[in-house]
Amino acid sequence: MIQIKRSFAISKKDLRIYYNKGPVVIQGILFPIMLFLAFTIGREILPIYIISGLMTMVLFLTSTSIGPVVFPWETRQKTLERLITCPISIRTILLGNVWSSFLFGCIFSTVPLILGIIFLGLWKEMNLLILVPGILLAAFSFSSFSLILSVPPTDTPASTMILTILIKFPLIFVSPLFMPISLNPITFISPLSYFLDILNVGLGSPSAFGSLGLFFDFGYLIIFGFVFLFLAFILHAKVLQKRFKG
Amino acid sequence: MNVIQVSNLSKDFGEVKAVDQVNFFVKTDEIFGFLGPNGAGKTTTIRMMTGVLRPTSGTIQIYGKEVWKNQIMIKQILGNVPEEANVYMDLTGFQNLNFIGELYSIPKEIRKERAFNLLRQFELYERRNSLAKKYSKGMKQRLLLCMALMSEPKILFLDEPTSGLDVQSSIIIKNLIKEYNKNGMTVFLTTHNMDVANEMCDRIAIINKGKIIKCDTPDNLRTVEREYQAINLYLSKEINPSIFTNVQGIKSFSKVKDYYHAIVSDIDQAISGIIKITTEHNIKIHKINTPEPSLEEVFINAIKEGETKNLE
Ligand SMILES: Nc1ncnc2c1ncn2[C@@H]1O[C@H](COP(=O)(O)OP(=O)(O)O)[C@@H](O)[C@H]1O
Ligand SMILES: [Mg+2]
Repeated sequence: MIQIKRSFAISKKDLRIYYNKGPVVIQGILFPIMLFLAFTIGREILPIYIISGLMTMVLFLTSTSIGPVVFPWETRQKTLERLITCPISIRTILLGNVWSSFLFGCIFSTVPLILGIIFLGLWKEMNLLILVPGILLAAFSFSSFSLILSVPPTDTPASTMILTILIKFPLIFVSPLFMPISLNPITFISPLSYFLDILNVGLGSPSAFGSLGLFFDFGYLIIFGFVFLFLAFILHAKVLQKRFKG
Repeated sequence: MNVIQVSNLSKDFGEVKAVDQVNFFVKTDEIFGFLGPNGAGKTTTIRMMTGVLRPTSGTIQIYGKEVWKNQIMIKQILGNVPEEANVYMDLTGFQNLNFIGELYSIPKEIRKERAFNLLRQFELYERRNSLAKKYSKGMKQRLLLCMALMSEPKILFLDEPTSGLDVQSSIIIKNLIKEYNKNGMTVFLTTHNMDVANEMCDRIAIINKGKIIKCDTPDNLRTVEREYQAINLYLSKEINPSIFTNVQGIKSFSKVKDYYHAIVSDIDQAISGIIKITTEHNIKIHKINTPEPSLEEVFINAIKEGETKNLE
């Protein structure tokens, strides 16, 4: 319990340090706008799909933007050794990273929602009881997932960024953004599909996965998040010692 | 009482034995120093003592508890300034301290009061609200010390605390460490600088190539140092160094570039002997000087008694 409180302190520190750093701004604002244009120019798209697609992209990109860079950054800045001689474990640090990514994700992804409400009149069929838990859960799951990307013991944030982009972008491209969700195998693999489905339902369209679709969506994201969180706990603990070179 | 007890401690990095079967203890309230050249294994040892690295073998007990198995509990009572560590550049001096305070679960009011006191002590108070990236190297090192002291640790670890610092910061740091120690804090520090070790430490362990060569008070070590002095001789003629090796008081004698280098255990006897021989051989002494013997010379020669060593 005390460790969870300490992880909040770490998260506050992460937010202070990273909120104006490149990765967050680029991935939270620039990439979504560019990708949105690439996906949608010249196509006729339902307002719901515009907003659910944008929110998914923004949430996924921002909540996975700082997880991969924290460890290389702290190694390079030589703050990591100081940090881990405080009475905390690697899990505390990782949880701290999750909270701050989570917050970035939640905050940035509500921007398209608000735009949708104002300009596209989406409030009519909107169900916040689905949207809010969905956003919170997805932000947590994607943040946990991003921790894995900083496992390689490098002190160069750029190298984990490249790894990140190699994994994140294909995931975005194979996901059924800005269109109805079709039930092909790739849809089932990508965690983004399930968040998209939650958003579509929350914005008033039926689930692509049938009448129990929402349970399926939430269940998948919960399992996805916790599996990656525990995987990150294990892998980071293994690799930590390699970060301290003579 | 021994606060720290280290037994048969080793750390291998592949083939490299960075720390090799080391034994020592640290008593309550003392300043204990690890003195040794670069690559001796100081940082590796301190990292194992602070729970950063896992020992390959051997044990480290702090207050009777094994460090690796009780990390969180032991870290709670330690302060640490790692070698070449850094503060968070994008936080202010005060934010850096406040953050550390939160990690030790220090209540908000106490956190602020302590941080301000430390900032005043280390002469950083005026700059408490500037970002640390605007600090000089010495100021950053002082801030790191403040961070280590935020939790009022029982034991303070310092890896090369003054190396590469400006004189002012170095003095502030040394004086305050001594003051904290007087008020009951045990200090473990490393340095490659003999003067720092002599000035600061109650006891010093000399470490080289992962092994402790000697461990004693500075006074006792100085008598060893006095036993071994170095002489450089500039002579008018080439001469076979071996004719000096039988002189009373000379441990070793060798040619180095354009002069001769001797390690002597009794300077008085050695000089009379040298003069006798040079007179016999009709050699003039152009210059004689007595360089400070280096650590390696004093202590490694002490270990390798009798072995004649080529010193370049
Ligand atoms: N993480 C590491 N991996 C491989 N070798 C290391 C590592 N850390 C230290 N060493 C080696 O161990 C030896 C001792 O290093 P170190 O403890 O840093 O010495 P010191 O602090 O006394 O200068 C050196 O030979 C160094 O190269
Ligand atoms: Mg070192």
